[in-house]
Amino acid sequence: MSQPVDALLEVRNLHRQFGGVRAVNGASFAVPPGRITGLIGPNGAGKSTALNIIAGALRPDSGTVLYRGKDITGLPPYKVARHGIIRTFQVSSEFAALTVLENLLVALPAQRGEKLWQAALGKRYWKAQERANVERARELLARFDMSAKEDEYAGNLSGGQKRLLELMRGLMAEPALLLLDEPMAGVSRPLARRIEQHLLELVAEGLTMLMIEHELAVVERLCDPVVVMAQGRVISQGTMADVRADQEVLDAYLIG
Amino acid sequence: MSVAWQFYISTVLIYLGVDVMACWGLNLQFGVAGLVNFAFIIFQAAGAYTAAVLTLGAAKSASQGGFQQYIGGAHWPFPLPILAAGLVGGLLAAVIGSFAIRRLRSDYEAMVMLVVSLIATSVATNQVGLVNGPNGLALVPKPLSTIVNLTPIGYQWLFVGITAGVCLCVYWLVHVVTSSPLGRTLRAVRENEPAASALGKNVTGLRLLAFVAGGVIAGISGAILVEFISAWSPGSWLYPETFVYFTAVIVGGSGNNLGVMVGALLVPVAFLEATRFIPQFGPPGLIDALQWIVVGVLALVFLWFWPRGVIPERRRRFPPASPAGAGK
Repeated sequence: MSQPVDALLEVRNLHRQFGGVRAVNGASFAVPPGRITGLIGPNGAGKSTALNIIAGALRPDSGTVLYRGKDITGLPPYKVARHGIIRTFQVSSEFAALTVLENLLVALPAQRGEKLWQAALGKRYWKAQERANVERARELLARFDMSAKEDEYAGNLSGGQKRLLELMRGLMAEPALLLLDEPMAGVSRPLARRIEQHLLELVAEGLTMLMIEHELAVVERLCDPVVVMAQGRVISQGTMADVRADQEVLDAYLIG
Repeated sequence: MSVAWQFYISTVLIYLGVDVMACWGLNLQFGVAGLVNFAFIIFQAAGAYTAAVLTLGAAKSASQGGFQQYIGGAHWPFPLPILAAGLVGGLLAAVIGSFAIRRLRSDYEAMVMLVVSLIATSVATNQVGLVNGPNGLALVPKPLSTIVNLTPIGYQWLFVGITAGVCLCVYWLVHVVTSSPLGRTLRAVRENEPAASALGKNVTGLRLLAFVAGGVIAGISGAILVEFISAWSPGSWLYPETFVYFTAVIVGGSGNNLGVMVGALLVPVAFLEATRFIPQFGPPGLIDALQWIVVGVLALVFLWFWPRGVIPERRRRFPPASPAGAGK
């Protein structure tokens, strides 16, 4: 695939060092809209660091992150999220002592009653919107086959259910770009296939995603384009077929 | 009821009101937002000093018969000193929060708070000109006592009424926060900060909000206390007092306003009052010392066996969708 000029997200020449380790060392790539961009590479390639920089959880030493052509480098995570860039975490990050439904409700941006003065106006002020939000959350639960768990504490879910919750919560946040950090890590094969199916549906609905994934078969099925990182750099990008044919990629995976 | 019993009961009720308010404030910070504020008592103290100084009037020099030194004396009518106490508690929380909460992770934050508490005691004790040093402030006039013409016991019950009224206002504040989407977001911040901020929540701002709201409530509780007991000194707010409130919140049910109310009834009130009725044994001061030990053990036992307390944080369930046409 040729580099599209109208990339939704573009990172240019990112650098980030931890002590003496150059975790990300001049990475540049683009995320085209309406597709799932795969970010792959051997362990320690700098994928998660790159994702953390995009999401604002880490500041780059140098380089820029452009979102819809706007420089968002170094913004704190909540401001990045308010631009519509929502990330999920590699380890489950549920709000354990909140119910599944509450986990979803929290994610909604700009809720009535979330500011002190609005809360002080009383239930009357936010009740109607809250009821609509609950229905939205229930629709999402039904879509992901999780309705039965609505009132369960998120901390009591199984590992796989937590992964689903992580994804649903990201969707409730009304993302324009979803950053997925190994969304299928540690889940059973059938559930992984279900998650895959959901991701395909979402991309068909027009959602843009950037996904870190280790399972190359999954990447092959879902991602186009694919960005390959090794030792902090982007060593190849293109379709999975292009990437597979690249000698440097083979070397990186063998050595890395 | 004999007058002596009326005095006793009304006094206990006023202490209960003060402790319930303080526990609601601490619950907002610790139970709801997850802020481990080991300096909680200094916000109560700041409110108490503010109310005392603003009720006492300008400090007199020793030649004029003055016996205490403090700054900013004024003679404000009730209820202005109480409101000012809330304001000062909130401002102090904003100042301390802006360095302790903006930058630190919760375990370090807790240690900083403990140190702040120790420093505050040291400053108030040694800066004699600030709030009369180790002797503290005394003879704070009781609110409305010159206006209303009541028997001492009648005044006691009037004060119970004032305390109850202030408690209701504080309850209203904690209730609108905890029952609203704001409360839910604060609980999410408590559970997982990085996840909350990745969903667009301004975690620092939210934590600071809870911290300041708790500071306001602590300040008001201190004001009620000092207006009642008429005296306030560094010995009234040593750092272990904070742990009494923590124990109350943990025993009652962290995160539940009703629970921490029960906690306030059980720990600072029932528990510490009950020891009055124990016959003296051992050397003088032994019972007081044992009290602290038992409070500490109580906190540990609950954290170990019933970490959610007597009345745990309630699970929020949402009613099923209303049938078409119903509702607004």
